[in-house]
Amino acid sequence: MTALAKRYWHALINQKKLFVYTFLWSFFLWITSPFLIILLKSVGRNWFGKKWLPPELTLDWYKWALTIANIPQVLSNTLIIAAIAVTISTLLALPTGWALGRRKVPAKEVLTSIILLPRMIPPIAYALGIAQIFYRLHLVDTHLGVALAHVAICAPYAILVLSSTFEGLDERVLEAAAVCGASQLRTFFHVTLPLVLPGILSSIIFTFTTSYNEFTLTLMTYGPHTITLPVRTYLAVGEGYWEVTSALSIILIIPSLFVLFMVQRQVQPEKLVGGFKGV
Amino acid sequence: MSHFTNKRQNLITFLLLSPGLAGFFGLFFYPMLVTLFRSLRPEGQTSGWTLGNYAAFLSDPDFRRIIWLTFFLAITSTLLSILLSVPLALLLRRKPVGHRLFRLTILVPITVPGLIGALGLLLFWGSRGWFNLLLLQVFRFKAPLTINYTLTGLVIFYVWHYFSYTAITTLSTLEGLDPAFEEAARVAGATPWQVLRYVVIPLIMPGILSGSVLTFMAAFGAFSIPLITGGNYRPLSVAIYKQIGIFIPARWSAASAMAMIMAALQVVFLIFYMRILRRPMA
Amino acid sequence: MDDNMIELRNVTKRYGPIVANANVNLSVRRGELMTLLGPSGCGKTTALRCITGQVTPDEGRVFIDGVDVTDVPTHKRELGMVFQNFALFPHMTVYENVEFPLMIRRIPQGQRREMVMDALRLIRMESYAQHYPRQLSGGQQQRVGLARALVYHPKVLLLDEPLSNLDAKLREEMRFEIRDLISRLGITALYVTHDQAEALALSDRVAVMNAGRIEQVGTPDEIYESPRSRFVADFIGLSNFIRGKVLAIERGMAIVAVNHIKLMVPAAEGTQVGQDLLVFIRPNDVQLFPVDFAKAENTFEGVVHKLTYLGDTIDYRVIVAEGVQIRVQTDGKVRFNAGEAVKVCLPEARCRVILE
Repeated sequence: MTALAKRYWHALINQKKLFVYTFLWSFFLWITSPFLIILLKSVGRNWFGKKWLPPELTLDWYKWALTIANIPQVLSNTLIIAAIAVTISTLLALPTGWALGRRKVPAKEVLTSIILLPRMIPPIAYALGIAQIFYRLHLVDTHLGVALAHVAICAPYAILVLSSTFEGLDERVLEAAAVCGASQLRTFFHVTLPLVLPGILSSIIFTFTTSYNEFTLTLMTYGPHTITLPVRTYLAVGEGYWEVTSALSIILIIPSLFVLFMVQRQVQPEKLVGGFKGV
Repeated sequence: MSHFTNKRQNLITFLLLSPGLAGFFGLFFYPMLVTLFRSLRPEGQTSGWTLGNYAAFLSDPDFRRIIWLTFFLAITSTLLSILLSVPLALLLRRKPVGHRLFRLTILVPITVPGLIGALGLLLFWGSRGWFNLLLLQVFRFKAPLTINYTLTGLVIFYVWHYFSYTAITTLSTLEGLDPAFEEAARVAGATPWQVLRYVVIPLIMPGILSGSVLTFMAAFGAFSIPLITGGNYRPLSVAIYKQIGIFIPARWSAASAMAMIMAALQVVFLIFYMRILRRPMA
Repeated sequence: MDDNMIELRNVTKRYGPIVANANVNLSVRRGELMTLLGPSGCGKTTALRCITGQVTPDEGRVFIDGVDVTDVPTHKRELGMVFQNFALFPHMTVYENVEFPLMIRRIPQGQRREMVMDALRLIRMESYAQHYPRQLSGGQQQRVGLARALVYHPKVLLLDEPLSNLDAKLREEMRFEIRDLISRLGITALYVTHDQAEALALSDRVAVMNAGRIEQVGTPDEIYESPRSRFVADFIGLSNFIRGKVLAIERGMAIVAVNHIKLMVPAAEGTQVGQDLLVFIRPNDVQLFPVDFAKAENTFEGVVHKLTYLGDTIDYRVIVAEGVQIRVQTDGKVRFNAGEAVKVCLPEARCRVILE
């Protein structure tokens, strides 16, 4: 019996390639099929699940999203809030990242861990506090208010990325520029800026998507005037119209896909999104 | 003279750090303090101190079940994430055809909004979704399996959403491993499985663990996923939200107390985990 | 019983367009220490990996102790190997590292302990048994690597540039320790290196490799004194190559014309009249005399172009004819100046003929 089992086991192992690709493609399907099904649901009519594919295609759900669900307004809310959150986060992160990356900071590791705390403590914990504070400051249901709440989780990541970008700036290159005769200002614009721009861009992109996708903090600080796409999607689930929710989801997913597209151009995509050093 | 410049340097450094620190204090530290204070106030009142909120929860069996549920979900999804990530990393490092696509796939769950993943998973694993269609039509099952809104389903959803952190660090550590170690083990007589067991896994364990910390933290604090797909299972974050979202009048003190307990548990677990990570490689 | 312990027969290995090993034939005799010598990228590491089994040759067979092991996986080949970067398992102590091969072979505990301590005694590191690799110096780590490779008494020991990561002084010490150890154990060893001094000092025989091919195999003496190709001559020690044409061959000596100079050199097999070839002589075999020295075999006039003082020797570049420069190293007892006319002598016996 065990001899037979061993033979089967060896056969399976020797079919290494088959095993490898079955595993990898199953993994791929497990991750991507939810999106495929959402896409089909968003364009399907009379598809109540007994079949693999929707019997009819329609763009009705998207029309509904645009009109009744008031998507343009929602989208503009989301984008405005994200823009504010990105601006504030980047403005905060630039000097802080510079200090952490290039200057002598006492207890740097401790400081970095502290700055990362908002991403480590469950957001609901301090979201409660933020909700109460913002209520008193009349910041609830304002674009600025929601954006500030987003900054709580966007800024730490921006600081991390920028500090490592600035750390990677080789002093000797700046020295070489000075020796070649460039003044501080010219060195900044012609040497420093081009070198740090990719890092800053990367930080902006990820901060933007973090804010765009953010749900928990938004849920605690939003109001009728500041409904964002994630919140609207959540409300749509509550309303029970899976098709419209699917359409909203497809619209919601676009910036993330853009990010993935940017990331895949890297040789090792996981290195970009990793970045949690010193945790 | 240098003493003077040192002070000046430190001042500049402090000024540069101040925006970040200000953000930290204003948007995290102070709100946490507010939550803390609120948790010590009697429900619905604006003055007076009490530990009643905490007492109420710590003695409430329902609450203890919520904590157990939260830990259970976090621990099982972390363990399963490791079980998924290690073979995945081992297979991907030989760079099979299409490996770049698979590496990108690992990133999908954390780049995409959690809500959407949750929605898609509900549709896919529902009683009329593709998974059950597969079981009914291809594997000739008699009746559909209920996955949605069950504990099993929730664990699957959690793994789907949070395994990426573990996979990323595992893969990264594995690729940084000097091939000479495996070569030395093989020449010394170890079969491929023995090389894995005695050399590779022990040496990448720090990488696996550091990623699994992130997976655990994300799973512990999960909110949008269980909110939409948890059904009757309400882990801590959802339970907190229910206190202020469902109850009228909103029970802020109760919610705050639960939030503080949650934050404390998270920190304690983190410290515990870091202790394990910092152990020398032996 | 086959005299060869290791044999590569017509081994060819390609990586895409690059041919790492081209029809390599290599035999290492029982009990000998052979060095595989060559520059980086010449294919010596690939050849070594064909022997360990990490690399499977595209063509050809690999034999160990007379058995065809080409299809045998690495872990069954019973070899010992020492690595350039030591490759000690960082998560195991010295004891556990050396014990590892024995644990894999399921040797009982008691016997294991004995074998490990024997191996540690061999390298004089018994007191370090509980240390971790990161607590040891480079030389100590390499000795532990040796112990791990030898603890299970393999028939063959392979060494992949084991001393390259050590500093010069340590390298010399370790060289002799390794040689001594291998002789005492009577084990067959294949040593891979790019350091020619190491190869000449250590080996019973040397195989010189270049661009995927074995150029010459011989004792260190043969390789140094009678290189058979320009590459081997150039790679080992310093050389002069003088291009000339064979005018005549008589009584085993070839008369080679280099511009207006006629040289008498020992003829090699296959030397023909009218052939273009290189005359090869080492700089420290060339002799310099004052310009009024009487004419003798292979002596002609030249002018010192430049000289470099090296302490125990002086390195001269002497121009003897249009476009013909000879490098000379002398012990400095008689000195010449730049621009001075001198007599250059290439003793017949020290000249060799090399076909390009």
